[in-house]
Amino acid sequence: MMGVISDAGKVVIFFFRILGVWKRKSISSQLMFEQIWKVTMQSALTTGMAGFFVGAIMTIQFTMQMKDFGALGYLGGLATSTTIREVGPLLIAFMLAGKVGAFTSAELGTMRVTEQIDAIRCLGADPIQELVLPRFIAIVISSFFLLGLGLLLSIFGGILLGEVFSGVSFEEYLRHIPTIVSLPSILTGLFKCFIFAVVLAVICTYRGYTTTGGAKGVGLAVVKTAVGTMVTIVIADWVTSLLADITLRAVLGT
Amino acid sequence: MIQFKGLVKKFGDRIVLKGLNLSVQKGEILFILGTSGTGKSVLLKNLMGLMKPDAGQIWIEGEEVSSFSEEQYLPIRRKCGLVFQQPALFDSLTVFENIAFGIRRHTKDSEQEIQKKVTKALGLVHLKNIENKFPSQLSYGMQKRVSLARTIALEPKVLLFDEPTTGLDPVTTSAINQLILELSRNLKTTSIVVSHDMRCALDIADRIIVMDQGSIIEIGTPEELKKSQVSLVKDFLSEVLEKEARQ
Repeated sequence: MMGVISDAGKVVIFFFRILGVWKRKSISSQLMFEQIWKVTMQSALTTGMAGFFVGAIMTIQFTMQMKDFGALGYLGGLATSTTIREVGPLLIAFMLAGKVGAFTSAELGTMRVTEQIDAIRCLGADPIQELVLPRFIAIVISSFFLLGLGLLLSIFGGILLGEVFSGVSFEEYLRHIPTIVSLPSILTGLFKCFIFAVVLAVICTYRGYTTTGGAKGVGLAVVKTAVGTMVTIVIADWVTSLLADITLRAVLGT
Repeated sequence: MIQFKGLVKKFGDRIVLKGLNLSVQKGEILFILGTSGTGKSVLLKNLMGLMKPDAGQIWIEGEEVSSFSEEQYLPIRRKCGLVFQQPALFDSLTVFENIAFGIRRHTKDSEQEIQKKVTKALGLVHLKNIENKFPSQLSYGMQKRVSLARTIALEPKVLLFDEPTTGLDPVTTSAINQLILELSRNLKTTSIVVSHDMRCALDIADRIIVMDQGSIIEIGTPEELKKSQVSLVKDFLSEVLEKEARQ
């Protein structure tokens, strides 16, 4: 238990170190755009596919619940609202954790054990500024692009299954989306997406940056990233759900 | 030029450097020999500010640097160049970009000047026409040379080599050792070489120190070392003599 608390503390300190470097030093826009492109493209296909099937699953699940009440007209609105508010951000975070998180910690870990990070310091540069910060920002920004892509495809998947499985037409599926998908749902989704991306970015960069012990150490860093991000994201989901609900009720009076 | 005073470095309960005292003279080639895990590389990393000592002082050209921050260390890292045990080249950058990396960060040189420095550094390690290649397209020996070129491109006053010939075949080992001698003499640098290679140390070092369990157990010129009665030094020497007898 003490180990977990100590690790969590080190991750928080590392997060503030990243923020400190961001505040004090400039960041190469070329490096950052390269990373945003890389992260987005690395995960676009899997996120899109997962989004499509989540939409399809939501449609099937809601159909089974709602058809007895004769409320299938609300199918599109409910499935989309749930995806935006809860499943979408969580799905994107898990996808990113599996692909980008593992990749980033392995990449930084390899750079650490092959002394490339020390070499950067010896050559007069700050590895946090050169390596960590561009990856950190890229993961956060890309997660919003991927959320958008995942949502679009989930609506598409929902429409398709709505037609085939539930007998709900294209127009009917879309009709209640604007009425059910409220501003609080969208804001909650965006807030969660941001928090999960920050959690993922800081854990995977920390694990990679602090890797020790050769190839075995890199493997261990990847495993710790995968486990750490999944667990922390689930906990963060609970906390953000609670916070978002309280905040939005207070601000919007909903 | 460089002084270590009572340097202590611990990793957990393990004391790697036990109050080490050492002076390095300007322009000399100093070899540090010893078995694995005796703190040789740790000494170089402390000198470069990559690790902080737990106690003691490090003096470089009259400045005590052991408590320097990362920012304060920048000019020290311009003066001292470390060639790592592994090539430590940046995989995603070409040879040119690897060598230019430090120049861009330490100087305000124009692209033309950077180009000249890169070509010159590659020339010094006897490489040419590989500027556009990526590290993965080079042999391990060539990567080591590029790593050396990257360090000397900044024209450091002190060159630090961390086991520069580990993992190399005998021919490349000999070529790298020759390069160390050439560079140290031609560029008039002070060189500290961490190595296991007693033969090379006897050939090119001005002074040799032998470390064991975090302390210096012998120090002297190659001739003085040949007469040493310290058992570890004798072991190192007998290995060299046996190899030579076999040849």
